[in-house]
Amino acid sequence: MPFVSKIRRQTDYNVFPSSVPIVIDNGASYFRIGWAGETEPRVIFRNIVQRPRHKATGETVTIVGDQDPALMKYFDCTRSGPRSAFDSNVVYQFEIMEYILDFAFDRLGANGSVIDHPILITECVCNPVQSRSKMAELLFETYGVPAVAFGVDAAFSYKYNQLHGICKKDGIVICPGFTTTHVIPFVDGEPVYKGSCRTNIGGYHVTDYLKQLLSLKYPFHSSRFTWEKAEDLKLEHCYISPDYASEVRKFQEGTKEAEEKTRYWQLPWIPPPIEVPPSEEEIARKAAIREKQGQRLREMAEAKRSSKINEMENELRSLHFLVNQLDQVEEDDIPSFLSDTGYASRQELESTVSKVTQSLKKARGEPKDEPEESEENNDSLNNEKYPLLNVPDNMLTPEQLKDKRRQIFLKTTTEGRLRARQKRNEEELEKERRNQLEEERRRENPEFYLEEMRAQYKEVLERVEQKKRLKTNGSSTNGNHKSGGVGRGERLSAAQRERMRLLTTAAFDRGKGEDTFGSRDEDWQLYKLMSKDHDEDDERPDSDEAELARLSSRLQEIDPTFVQKAEGESSQTSGEAQRARPLTEEDYKIVIGIERFRCPEILFHPNLVGIDQVGLDEMSGASIRRLPNGDRELEERLTSSILMTGGCSLVPGMKERLESGIRMIRPCGSTIYVVGAMDPVLDAWRGASAFAADLNFLRNAFTKIDYEKGEDWLRRYHIRYNNL
Amino acid sequence: MEAELVEADIVVPMKLSFKKIQAYEKYPKGQSRGRWKHLKQILQAENFQDYPPEEPNYMNIESAPSTQPCKRICDITGYQAPYVDPRTNLRYANADVFKTLRSLSTEQVQQYLSIRNAAVVLK
Repeated sequence: MPFVSKIRRQTDYNVFPSSVPIVIDNGASYFRIGWAGETEPRVIFRNIVQRPRHKATGETVTIVGDQDPALMKYFDCTRSGPRSAFDSNVVYQFEIMEYILDFAFDRLGANGSVIDHPILITECVCNPVQSRSKMAELLFETYGVPAVAFGVDAAFSYKYNQLHGICKKDGIVICPGFTTTHVIPFVDGEPVYKGSCRTNIGGYHVTDYLKQLLSLKYPFHSSRFTWEKAEDLKLEHCYISPDYASEVRKFQEGTKEAEEKTRYWQLPWIPPPIEVPPSEEEIARKAAIREKQGQRLREMAEAKRSSKINEMENELRSLHFLVNQLDQVEEDDIPSFLSDTGYASRQELESTVSKVTQSLKKARGEPKDEPEESEENNDSLNNEKYPLLNVPDNMLTPEQLKDKRRQIFLKTTTEGRLRARQKRNEEELEKERRNQLEEERRRENPEFYLEEMRAQYKEVLERVEQKKRLKTNGSSTNGNHKSGGVGRGERLSAAQRERMRLLTTAAFDRGKGEDTFGSRDEDWQLYKLMSKDHDEDDERPDSDEAELARLSSRLQEIDPTFVQKAEGESSQTSGEAQRARPLTEEDYKIVIGIERFRCPEILFHPNLVGIDQVGLDEMSGASIRRLPNGDRELEERLTSSILMTGGCSLVPGMKERLESGIRMIRPCGSTIYVVGAMDPVLDAWRGASAFAADLNFLRNAFTKIDYEKGEDWLRRYHIRYNNL
Repeated sequence: MEAELVEADIVVPMKLSFKKIQAYEKYPKGQSRGRWKHLKQILQAENFQDYPPEEPNYMNIESAPSTQPCKRICDITGYQAPYVDPRTNLRYANADVFKTLRSLSTEQVQQYLSIRNAAVVLK
């Protein structure tokens, strides 16, 4: 990892005399501070500030850079995420900048009353004066520094590499940074800002792109893709393809090379517990428990029954006793005797006796004494049972007439019942016969029979579904609109709509013309139609549905592969089915294939993320075109010394891609030489450190008196890099 | 403050000897937010138009749109995308991708679009 924080507090601050400048590389992603003349910065941290609330004391505290996440539990960070002082590559929030400088100077070991050292701090190319003056104000007013110098990080990096012979005094520096990418041409060892070029794309966008792509690809795991994780993945896996189109084709065709290039990130996955089938003992134990419970219930029921029988026997006994007594009582005393017992007449008493006897028999489980078979030979009985049936009406008294009518009714109902039973028996026989027939056919040719059954099933199913669709207005013909997207009119079935139509015509059309409603009897049928929803059609399964049920049950018996189609299931999409199945290890595997080179590709084609500017390779061409004169020799010299620096130039494959990209836009035969900086991340600081260590440094710096000359002066302020 | 925190020394001290004005004096509670001009406002206030155009400034060093034909890649897979779905405006590579594309929710579609700054933004 090229980015390492170094935040140990330094103890040798007082060793340095006040003439030694402090050098700060104030990058949008990392902040580096150290002493002029040294090769390594003393303190390095991520250029962010958090201002959480300390949970125990309630104070708002300042935390700078990345800190141990384990310690963050003492803070309430809900209202303060990490904040940066940068908008794009310009410092705009000087409150945050102040916290960062506080932390930096504190860690450098500063303990005097002011920072009594000149300061060299980096800024972006053509930093707006407002930002520059605010920074100077902060340094002069708050920290009391004696002198300040501003320089450009990419330029320092180029100068440092020039010092070490990596690049020449004429050349181009390409610096893809965190939020922006700069290209600056150098002529005679001085940067020519006139020819510089900035595209607002950098490592931040690459990481963000990766993060968003992965969280959209794996919505279940989107919480896993934090900024830090995406940054790690980018540093570890991203590379730049020599040619995006051909590289992506390899992946599209699934070649072996693509397979090798695909990386996997297995998220921790715990397999769901496997259900162990219960052992024999377990089953036996459970059965025993169930048996025991059943036994207890049976005993309880038995006890209840016997007590009930007992009760009824007692009642019967007392009733018999009453009847016996009644027999002995004189005829005249009967009413008075009965009034004591609560029965109105002797008949009532007797009927109660018979009722109780009946229920007692039933309780004991004895058969009813109504013989069923009596109906078989009822023809002979008819005369006895219905004696009045064959007697002419005129020979009967009115009471007998009433009796006769009752007898006729009874006779017809019994006969009807009998006929129905016969019919049922016949049907059963018929069914049996059909089943036998089918069974025979099946035995003859099982394969053919099964086929036939399936075809039949399908046909009937279709017919039933067709009918259903018609009933529900045919809106679901393509099965797509089963859920959602159903308009108001589509909600009603055909019958319901008909009813609505009737209601509205009845409500609004009555007044028109001559009102003839009610002149015909059929008119009144209207109310019948209106009053119900005609849903009873749905209740009663029609013949097709019965046939369908029969076929499916039959198929279930003989066809092991048969799956009954549940209603509405036919339109289920495969996506829903996937969600239903239990998650497997595969679901927790993050595949990073095309993303490996798709994300850094935005450096060369910023329009992939909606930034309409030229990419890295074209930038150098644009930069050369911005130079004042068409000096071919100078251009040749420039392209033969192209230095890549900045964090993003560490992505593998950058050099090759840049070289081929620049070759495409430069005239044929130009020398193109791209070289990487010795350390793309730290060279800027090292260059600045070397620059500040020079004795002439103070001539490039300015004091508070200069600063007070005003913004116009500050705008024209530039350091001369050729000190080195 | 907990001993662990004191030992780790992650909190910036409130009072620092080397400062002429302490942060808490400069930024009393609640004043900090929204005080700072954003880059856009800063650039507007710079009045670059008042200066000669050949003088480089933050605005005019910005690079121009590319002259190369715009590269179109599938929003979902990253393959080269010859097609655009007229309903969602997403670019797609083939019929398989189209199927997954149509199964996306509106929210996901908008997220895909917002990656390349093409989402519908309601103001």
